[in-house]
Amino acid sequence: MLDLLKNQLLFSGLLIAVLMGAINLGVAYCTFYERKISAWIQNREGPNRVGFFGLFWGFHFWGYGQPMADGLKFLLKEEMIPDKADKPLYVMAPAISFIVSTIGIAVIPWGGYLDIDADGIVDVACQVANPDIGLLYVLGVGSLGVYGVVLGAWASNNKYSLFGGIRAAAQMLSYEIPLGLAILVVVLSCGEVRLENIVRAQIEGGGTWNVFVHPLAFFLLFVTQLAETNRAPFDMAESEQELVGGFHTEYGALKFALFFLSEYTHMIINSAFLCVLFLGGWHFPWIPGLGLEDTAWWAVLAKMAMLGTKIAGCVFVYMWIRWTLPRFRFDQLMRLAWKGLIPTGLGLVALAVVMTYFGIPGSESVWPKLIWGLGGNAAVLFMVVLVVGMSPAGVTGRQANMPPISLLSPAKRVPRADQGTAN
Amino acid sequence: MNASLPYLIYALFAVGGAGIYLALPRSGRSTAVPGSILGLAAVGMFVAVVAKYALPSEGAGFSYLFSAMALIGAGRVVTHPKAVYCVLYFVLVIISVSMLLVLQGAEFLAIALIVVYAGAILVTYAFVLMLSQQSASVPGDVRSREPFLAVLAGFFTMACIAGQVGDLPLAAAPSSEQVIRLAQHGEADQAVMPEMMVDGNTAAMGAALMTKYVVTLETTGVLLLVALVGAMAVAKKRVPIEESPDPEKPLGQVGREAAPF
Repeated sequence: MLDLLKNQLLFSGLLIAVLMGAINLGVAYCTFYERKISAWIQNREGPNRVGFFGLFWGFHFWGYGQPMADGLKFLLKEEMIPDKADKPLYVMAPAISFIVSTIGIAVIPWGGYLDIDADGIVDVACQVANPDIGLLYVLGVGSLGVYGVVLGAWASNNKYSLFGGIRAAAQMLSYEIPLGLAILVVVLSCGEVRLENIVRAQIEGGGTWNVFVHPLAFFLLFVTQLAETNRAPFDMAESEQELVGGFHTEYGALKFALFFLSEYTHMIINSAFLCVLFLGGWHFPWIPGLGLEDTAWWAVLAKMAMLGTKIAGCVFVYMWIRWTLPRFRFDQLMRLAWKGLIPTGLGLVALAVVMTYFGIPGSESVWPKLIWGLGGNAAVLFMVVLVVGMSPAGVTGRQANMPPISLLSPAKRVPRADQGTAN
Repeated sequence: MNASLPYLIYALFAVGGAGIYLALPRSGRSTAVPGSILGLAAVGMFVAVVAKYALPSEGAGFSYLFSAMALIGAGRVVTHPKAVYCVLYFVLVIISVSMLLVLQGAEFLAIALIVVYAGAILVTYAFVLMLSQQSASVPGDVRSREPFLAVLAGFFTMACIAGQVGDLPLAAAPSSEQVIRLAQHGEADQAVMPEMMVDGNTAAMGAALMTKYVVTLETTGVLLLVALVGAMAVAKKRVPIEESPDPEKPLGQVGREAAPF
C-alpha cells in the first residue's frame, strides 16, 4: 500500500482529491467568515443561528451550519435560463469560471518533498505537478480567468451584465501588466521559475522571505490580485449600486453559486501563490520540523498546516479590505494601473536587475539583501511619490467638459479657473 | 519514401477545402451539414495517412487528439455564423496548439502562446465583439465574402507547405525527453528531486535568448515600443472645453432650460 503511494502519479491523484475537498470546504466557510468579518467590522452579530439540521439537541454551534444551509438552498432553487439568452454560453460561463479558477492548485507546492518509508530517500513531491514553467502556468491560467465573466455577461443579453463584463475585461487586461512585473522581480531575485525552487531559494538565503527584500513588489502583487479576483475596492464588474449585480445579474441558483465559488476559490489560490512567492511558502523560522531536510509525513503535514495558516491570513486581509475601503471610480482604477502601478513595477524590475548584477541575491549573509532591497524600494517609492505629487490631478474626457460645481447655481457665480476671465 | 504521398496529401487538402467552402455561412440554402461531413472526413483521412507513414513515437495518441481538435476548431473559426463562438473556437485552437508544443517539449512557448493570444489578444476581440453585437447578428455579418477565393488561397498556402513533406525524413520527432536532455543545463537538482520532476528547458531557452539572440530580442522590444508610442499618438484626442452657448448664463443652465423635445 505504501509502495503504491511512492508512484508520483498516484500520489498526485490522491493529493488532487484531498485538495479539492479541502478547498471546497474552505470556500464554503470563507463565505461564512466573510459575513462574520463584515459583521465584526460593522459592529453587528452576523449569522449565528443555523446549526446542523437540529442534530445535537438543537444546539446551534454559533451559526457554523450556515454554509451547509446556503449550499442546500442553492441546490434546491429553480434553475432558470432567460428566454433571450444565448443558452450554450449562458450555461458554460459559470463552469469555465470555476474550472479556470480551480486548476491553479496543480502547481502550488503544498508541503515540500515527502519520504514515505523513512529510508532517507525522497519518494514524492507533495505537489500535484512540478512543471519547469510553474510560475508561467499560474500566469497563463490567471489570464484565462476573464473568459467566464465576459462570456456570462454577454450571454445574459442584459445591458447591466454587459457593462459588468466590459469593465471586467478592461480591468483584467490592465492589471495583468503590473502582475507580470511583480512576478518578474521574484524570478530575477530567485533565479527560478519552478515554484518549489522559489520556496527553497527563500529558505536557503538565510530565511529572508522575498517580502522583506521587496516589500513594494509584494504590495504590487497583492493589489493586482485584488483586481484579478474582482474583489473590493476593484469590484467594478459587479458594483451593486450601479449595475444591479454586474455580470451575474441574470444568474440564479447553482449557476450563480458556481460564480460565487469561483471567486472564493480564486482568492484562496491567489493567496497561496502570494505566500509561495513572497511569504516563504511552507517555511517559518524558529519552528523546528519545517526545514528543507524534514521529509517525514508529519513534517509534510505541519508544512501544509503552516501554508494553510498563511493563506487564511491573506484571505482575512482580502475581506478586511473589502469591508474597509470604498470602490474606485473607473478612471481612478485605470489611472492607478497605468500611471501608478506600472511605473512602480518597472522601477522595481530595474532595481532587481541591478541587485542581480552585483550578485546580491546569492550572497550568504542576510544584511546586503536587506539593505539593498529596502533601500532600493524606498528610493523607488520616493521617486514615484515625487512624480505623482508633482503632476497635476488627472482630468479625463467628460470631466473636462464639466464646469466646477459652484457654477451650476446662479447664486454663487465664480469665474472658471481654467479660463481665468472674471465677469 | 512514397513518391505519390504529396499527391495524396494534396487530394486530402482539396477535399477539406471543398468541405470548408460548403460549410462557410452563406445566404440562401445552407450547405453546412454536407460541408461538415466532408471536412471531418478529410481530417480523419489525414490523421490516418499521418499515422500510417510516421514512425511510432511517445505520446502519439495525444498528438493526434490535439491535432484533430486544432483542425476542427480552426474550421469552426471560419465557418461559425456567430462571431463570439468564432473567438471561442480560436481559443480552443490556441489551447490545442499549445498542448502540441508541450508534447514537443517546448513548454515555455506553449504557455507564452496561451498568455499572449488566449489571455490578451482574444480577450480584446471578445471585448470588441461584445460592444458591437449584443443581439442577433445582422445578415451582412453572417455571409462570407469571396468564399471560393479564400478557400483557394488557403489551399495553395497549405499545398506549398505540404509539398515539402516528401523531402522530409518522416522519422519520429525527438521525444520530449531527448529535447530536454539536449537542453539540460546542469544536473545538480536530480539527486534531490524525484524522477518525474526533473524535466524542463526553460532556463536553457532563456540563456539562449539573452546571449545568442539578444540583438533580435532587443530589436523586437524597440519595435513594440515604437508601436506603443505610435498607438498613443494616434489614439490621443483632446476634448475641447465647450463654451456656454449663452454667455450671460452659466454653463449647464442653458441645458436645464431647454425643452426636452
